[in-house]
Amino acid sequence: MNERSQWSMVHGQWSMAMFTLLFGVAVLLFFGMAYPHHLHYQEQYQLFLFDRNYMWEIVKLPGGVADLLGRFCTQFFLFAWVGALIISVLLSAVQLLTLRLASWGRLYGLSFVPSCLLWLFLLDENALLGGVWAVLLSLLASWAFDHLPCGWTRRILLIIAIPVLYWMAGPVCILFFLLQAPKRLSWYYGLFVLLALLPILLSFYLPVPADKLWFGIHYHRYPTVFPVILWVAVLSIFVLTLIARALHRWANASHRIVVALCSFVVVIAGMGWIVWKNSNFKAEKVMQYDFMARHQQWNRILDTVNAEKPNNPIGVTVQNLALAMHGLLTDHLFEYNQNGISGLFPTVERDAISPLPTAEVFYQLGMVNVAQRTVFEAQEAILDFQKSARCYKRLAQTNLINGDYEVARKYLMALQKTLFYSDWANETLSLLGNEEAIAKHPEYGRLRQFAYKDDFYFSDHTTSQMLQSLFLSNTDNRLAYEYLLAYCLLTGDRETYYQFTSIKR
Amino acid sequence: MKKILYILLSLLFCAACTNETVSDANQETSLPHIYPDYIGVTIPVNIAPLCFNMADETALRIDAVITDSHGHNLHSQGEESTDFDIDDWHTLLSQNPGDSLTVTVSAKYDDGWHTYRPFSIYVSTDSIDYGICYRLIEPGYEVWSKMGIYERDLSSFDERPLIENTQFEGCVNCHSFNRGNAADMSLHIRGAHGATLLRHNNGPFIAYNTKTDQTLGLCVYPYWHPSGRYIAYSTNTTNQLFHSAGRNRIEVFDDASDLQVYDVEKNELLLSPLLKQDSVYETYPVFSADGRSLYFCAARALPEGSHQLDSIRYNLCRIDFDPETGNYGERIDTIVNAEALHKSVSFPRPSYDGRFLCYTLSDYGQFSIWHHEADLYLLDLATSQSRPMDEANSKETDSFHNWSTNSRWLVLSSRRDDGLFTRPYFCHIDAKGKVSKPFMLPQRNPRRFYRERFLSFNVPDFITAPTRFNSHQATRLINSNSRTPFGVRTSP
Repeated sequence: MNERSQWSMVHGQWSMAMFTLLFGVAVLLFFGMAYPHHLHYQEQYQLFLFDRNYMWEIVKLPGGVADLLGRFCTQFFLFAWVGALIISVLLSAVQLLTLRLASWGRLYGLSFVPSCLLWLFLLDENALLGGVWAVLLSLLASWAFDHLPCGWTRRILLIIAIPVLYWMAGPVCILFFLLQAPKRLSWYYGLFVLLALLPILLSFYLPVPADKLWFGIHYHRYPTVFPVILWVAVLSIFVLTLIARALHRWANASHRIVVALCSFVVVIAGMGWIVWKNSNFKAEKVMQYDFMARHQQWNRILDTVNAEKPNNPIGVTVQNLALAMHGLLTDHLFEYNQNGISGLFPTVERDAISPLPTAEVFYQLGMVNVAQRTVFEAQEAILDFQKSARCYKRLAQTNLINGDYEVARKYLMALQKTLFYSDWANETLSLLGNEEAIAKHPEYGRLRQFAYKDDFYFSDHTTSQMLQSLFLSNTDNRLAYEYLLAYCLLTGDRETYYQFTSIKR
Repeated sequence: MKKILYILLSLLFCAACTNETVSDANQETSLPHIYPDYIGVTIPVNIAPLCFNMADETALRIDAVITDSHGHNLHSQGEESTDFDIDDWHTLLSQNPGDSLTVTVSAKYDDGWHTYRPFSIYVSTDSIDYGICYRLIEPGYEVWSKMGIYERDLSSFDERPLIENTQFEGCVNCHSFNRGNAADMSLHIRGAHGATLLRHNNGPFIAYNTKTDQTLGLCVYPYWHPSGRYIAYSTNTTNQLFHSAGRNRIEVFDDASDLQVYDVEKNELLLSPLLKQDSVYETYPVFSADGRSLYFCAARALPEGSHQLDSIRYNLCRIDFDPETGNYGERIDTIVNAEALHKSVSFPRPSYDGRFLCYTLSDYGQFSIWHHEADLYLLDLATSQSRPMDEANSKETDSFHNWSTNSRWLVLSSRRDDGLFTRPYFCHIDAKGKVSKPFMLPQRNPRRFYRERFLSFNVPDFITAPTRFNSHQATRLINSNSRTPFGVRTSP
């Protein structure tokens, strides 16, 4: 029996399991309670399809298996607590696999550092779960190889593992080769040369920039961003393992559980502080407003704005929409923070974040073509070229309202291949071409009636004339009326204000 | 136990791939409703198998038997789609040039098999070029996602990317070849790494900066001179506006546009005051088959600040061009006065035999791919008479098109399938201008393929052979900052 297992025996695997569990619960609570809308944000910028072609397009690239697993898990982020649980399990698994790499003893707490760094990595809403899966796959491969006996079989399998693991996990798989390095490196250098040759060779064949083959294709949504923290996490596993092995004697001199507990507490407190300090709670708040608007939680929005009076542009936009949905906008406009007419219609940026809440305003007003364009552009702006279930759903709706049934059918049939949108897609498919059912539908029927009757051109800026035209198309459009008056109040256009208040009377 | 399992699995596998016998079928007097509609189409002898589905998705199986007048036949049956053996298909077609094939379709529904009235497919003696090249892009507004330029072998189902924007930051557009010969090729890159990649006489690609201080901006719509020495380009200051209602979503228009010809050998743009008038929007230049004329679209410019876009109407015009000297003629002729008809011409494309010119006619403007009313017209260059190509047109947008090198096939972009996503169709045009019913680009399982592809086939053009485009060399060129500037020569 070696010293490491003795240490484990003495201090009890149960204790360590408890620490891992504690860590997992902390991750779960953080993402479930403090960061849930980051998970919703992640989910809305992908469209996971149970479709052979879709999966092949993902797995055919280096790191594709990790990417596919990441995307598969991300679809569950629609339910924040499930997403938090998934992250919690993944990070705990990374910690457990790191733990078995060395006999940590007094340094036990350091085995949590890589997982905490991955936690830090996931604070970025554009960090992809595929990166965490890539680390996990590399550790799992290393764990599996540790069970192989030394000899030629192992060496041959190592050579085979180079392209296989590179394909599965991407360049992060270098971790596996670092961990598997024997004390006498000699022949092992050849493996590193082979690993280095792979990206060079593949750069001639794959339609991705060469640097992505070195640093990872789908670890981060932004193609030009090098995921520093992910790579620090990867290297930390190797470096900390080396340290633990180098300080083996000292680290295992004491077998008292309290020492391990102390190192755990120190690391978790330190890393926890770093995680908390680097959490973007402002973004979380913006994402919360977007989430509430997406799910049309108008009452919850009013409760929230009454409690905290948002001052971020998206919060103000959503606040005004909720006020208008309750018919309170014009009467209570100045009781809340305002942002000029941008608080009604923020300028549509060519990014993936701001357009969606704005599109919700256009959609609810009945400006269906504008909403359609805004949603379409938001989806096109997703930087890793993924599609969005949220956008597909809305595009199906706008095309349905516009009577473009075949286009709506295309989006709906794609959504049929998803886990969480297929029921809705099936229900909506039955509406296509059924004019009577659409006319009676509380949302689509209403929005059809509110649609512009006269065609005109619009650009990026919503004008008073556009709102006037919308209201005059259907004077039952209460929301258009509220927005028009609010627009006049915010721009000081008294003439139009009195003109339309008298019309309504 | 293992043996039994193997036997069961084998039986299951065989059952899955065994054709059912079409028995006790109800004999229908109607033609089958199939997708795509291949009934009565004319096809080239070297086209890929025309696989099809029942338009009605409740069909449980589809069965098709193709017979010729010599007694040969080809059979295919499937759950979703027919899938003819590609070699047998080509053998059958090669045995029947200039003859018709008879297709008998049966479909199985809950109540059993139904056999429909047979229909014909005519195999033309005119072959079609090796393939087509196109851009795949979502039919969107201003922001783009993944896109690329692809080539497709028309005798098979093989599609290959030439270059995709996953390889660099930006977008690709306006690929152009000299009569389908990729030895002369032009390709624009837009965005941070903007450039025009040019290959002449199969030489290396060179990245050019086409913007000069004497032109409006970057060169846009290209067309090669038959000699390969010149490329006609427009320069356009393009804008977009969006419809608030109605079926058309987007209006793409020019605030200004001019024409010029680029001399590839001398690296200079040949300018003419006649083709860069402030009061006229000139666009879509194309050379005539003999290279001695330049056709283009021209419209009276809107007053500054005006957005009366529906009053911009382009005529088809022509100016002489001397390929020996690079000089332009002194007069512009109006060939089709569309303005007088309250219509507008776009995408003129002369056939390479000099017999016809095909163009798109819409209510106004020049970007007819976003106009549902857009239709194709055929101008007989011998009689100067135009007629709508009713045989090829649909209720939806029919717009961009190109001729095969033998001038007997036209590839046209149509949105007839769903009103939004552009698909390539092919129609035969004989020496007298008789147009056949168009057929959709074949796919192995067309309904599944087109339903799952959320991309439009943009700017389809024929190629006579694989382009042998080295995307990695091109990417290196794009990502480098080295750009060769265009020179300028002004004609008197």
